[in-house]
Amino acid sequence: MEREELRPLLRRKFPPHRTYLLPALHFLQGELGYLPQWALQVVAWHLRTPASVVYGAATSYTELRIQAPSQHTVRVCTGLSCWHGGGRELLAELSQTLGAGADHAALNGGIAVEESPCAYRCPLAPLVEVDGDWLGRASADQVLSRCGAL
Amino acid sequence: MTGLAGPALTRCFPGVGHSEGMTYAELASRARRRRLAPTSGRSRVVVQVGQCSQAVGASQVANCLADALAAHDNAYLVAAGCDGACFAAPQVVVNEPSGRTRHYSNVNISDVPAIVAVLGSGETLRPTRALEDFFAPQHLQVMTWCGQLDPADADDYVSVGGYASLADALSCPQEDVIDRVLVSGLQGRGGAYFPPARKWQGARSFPGPRVLVVNAEEGEPGLFKDRHIMEGLPHRLLEGALIAAYATGASRCYIYVNAEAHLSTQRMEAALEQAASNGLVGDNILDSDFSCEVELRRGAGGYVCGEETTLLNTIEGRRREPRLRPPFPVESGLFRQPTVINNVETLANVPYILQRGPARYGQVGLESAPGTKLVCLSGSVQRPGLAEVPMGTTLRQVIYNIGGGPPEGRNIGIVALGGPSSGVLPPSELDLELKPGMLHPSGVVMGAGGVMVMDSSVPALAVARRLASYNAAESCGKCTPCREGTPRIVAALDRIAERGGTASERDELRYLAEIVGAASLCGLGQMAGGPVNSLLHFFGDDLAAG
Repeated sequence: MEREELRPLLRRKFPPHRTYLLPALHFLQGELGYLPQWALQVVAWHLRTPASVVYGAATSYTELRIQAPSQHTVRVCTGLSCWHGGGRELLAELSQTLGAGADHAALNGGIAVEESPCAYRCPLAPLVEVDGDWLGRASADQVLSRCGAL
Repeated sequence: MTGLAGPALTRCFPGVGHSEGMTYAELASRARRRRLAPTSGRSRVVVQVGQCSQAVGASQVANCLADALAAHDNAYLVAAGCDGACFAAPQVVVNEPSGRTRHYSNVNISDVPAIVAVLGSGETLRPTRALEDFFAPQHLQVMTWCGQLDPADADDYVSVGGYASLADALSCPQEDVIDRVLVSGLQGRGGAYFPPARKWQGARSFPGPRVLVVNAEEGEPGLFKDRHIMEGLPHRLLEGALIAAYATGASRCYIYVNAEAHLSTQRMEAALEQAASNGLVGDNILDSDFSCEVELRRGAGGYVCGEETTLLNTIEGRRREPRLRPPFPVESGLFRQPTVINNVETLANVPYILQRGPARYGQVGLESAPGTKLVCLSGSVQRPGLAEVPMGTTLRQVIYNIGGGPPEGRNIGIVALGGPSSGVLPPSELDLELKPGMLHPSGVVMGAGGVMVMDSSVPALAVARRLASYNAAESCGKCTPCREGTPRIVAALDRIAERGGTASERDELRYLAEIVGAASLCGLGQMAGGPVNSLLHFFGDDLAAG
């Protein structure tokens, strides 16, 4: 999508009020996969809101990202039940196999390994998300075979 | 409607906000006709597709069954929500026209041919012993029909008495509705246990337009109850919300759903569209004088967004941080209008109260806290899932009778209650009753109802550190004591882990917890000392030993 296309699209979808900031950012992230700077500027222009406010929102909400995601994302839940039920070990193993060290998003061959604070599916611990699909009662082998099939 | 509130919802959800002027009697009789016509004589195959069961293949099972049933004229498929028995997921329940039922647990696609082969037969398959044991100690009021009804079909809900309470409410004065809910003793189920009817009353004392916000953010690790309601019974939530909006005199309602709760969002969206085409939202609801626009909003991540004033800020497009109180939201909330904010579980109780009457509602639970509570049970138990129990049920009953106790060969070491803010308990405290307010002088509270069970092999210090580091990461940074204090709590716990907890180290921890709690604006900071205080109280001696 180009800058010129975005303006009329936003105009059609969202009234020019600040209350549509999150809906607009959600919409954009869905379309583009992330929130590039030029798109944030267009949102600010359309919603008649300072660009700094839009940037602030895009960087403070954990679900929004301003950097292009890697080709594939593996997120390991480390909420208390998963942490206790094998999530810690999965994070370590998957980071080592797929990424480069725990705790931080690590890139290797287009696969990012990240930590998720909670998947809210605690009865099925441990949980791992591979490109948007959560796997319950997950094992490293299961995740790796999913990644191999990507 | 002020200009600030934006235009009517129809611009965001075409079709929503349009009513046909149908009365409840017409709606109910049509629901009966519709349900009888295509379903008579056919087997109803229900797959429980919830966000939990999706993680273990429920969608694939549903797709596979749909393909298999395409050739069957005598059966139809329903994708319902999950009944809470997540340990048995994915579940399939077949209801035969003869009244016989078959329950299948832990289904995968290779089981589908066998399920289809016996369709229409007289065979019966009872629920497993584990399922019976899981449900036997429960008392279903809010979760009744969850996992059986089609969430995308309002007629399904109407056919079991749904929306009758709304019709009843609309036929009497708003004060009467408030009185009935007030007398029932219903308290908020989001963690603070403030009576919702008091909020409705409060907002009514200020001039309108007023707003109702449904807090469906549920961003607390260990919680999944509101999602179950939205996925399985979206119309029950909507009915409760509309009754609350009527009682408050709110002309606009926002349902604020967690960013990651995709299935909840989809099911609520579908329910809203259905409700709109049946005259249940929008103008002149059920042919009455009451009109209310309902709009769905999604969060964007962050535990603090569930805090009610933060939630209002995010709807307005502002920073995700709490507001100073007063003014309280009932006086000046969303777009500075009088605003009532109610939790999903709270509102899902309201139709039941109006249907059965306040007296009947008070027969379950405690005198000081009537009704039931949804409990999210996870961790080291044989049967983790979502359970509905009377207020006052003990932790032991929840963990052993419902959850089946720890898996063989393991022992309970710690029970973490109510998400990241509440506290850690040793197994000696399992006879505590679940109820609002402090469960123990150390400050442990039930919170919104999370119960996470840990093995005895896990050190309490590590669990408390895990919770403390979560709080530190999620602090929004507005209040200095919380922003600076929560990482210091983590650092102090690390020092104790390394060198053992001397008396002065423990005093510092206690002091930090007190300061952060006393000097923070919102619940995140106010409760951040919970894990630390309970750690020091119950496990302090272990820390001293190093």
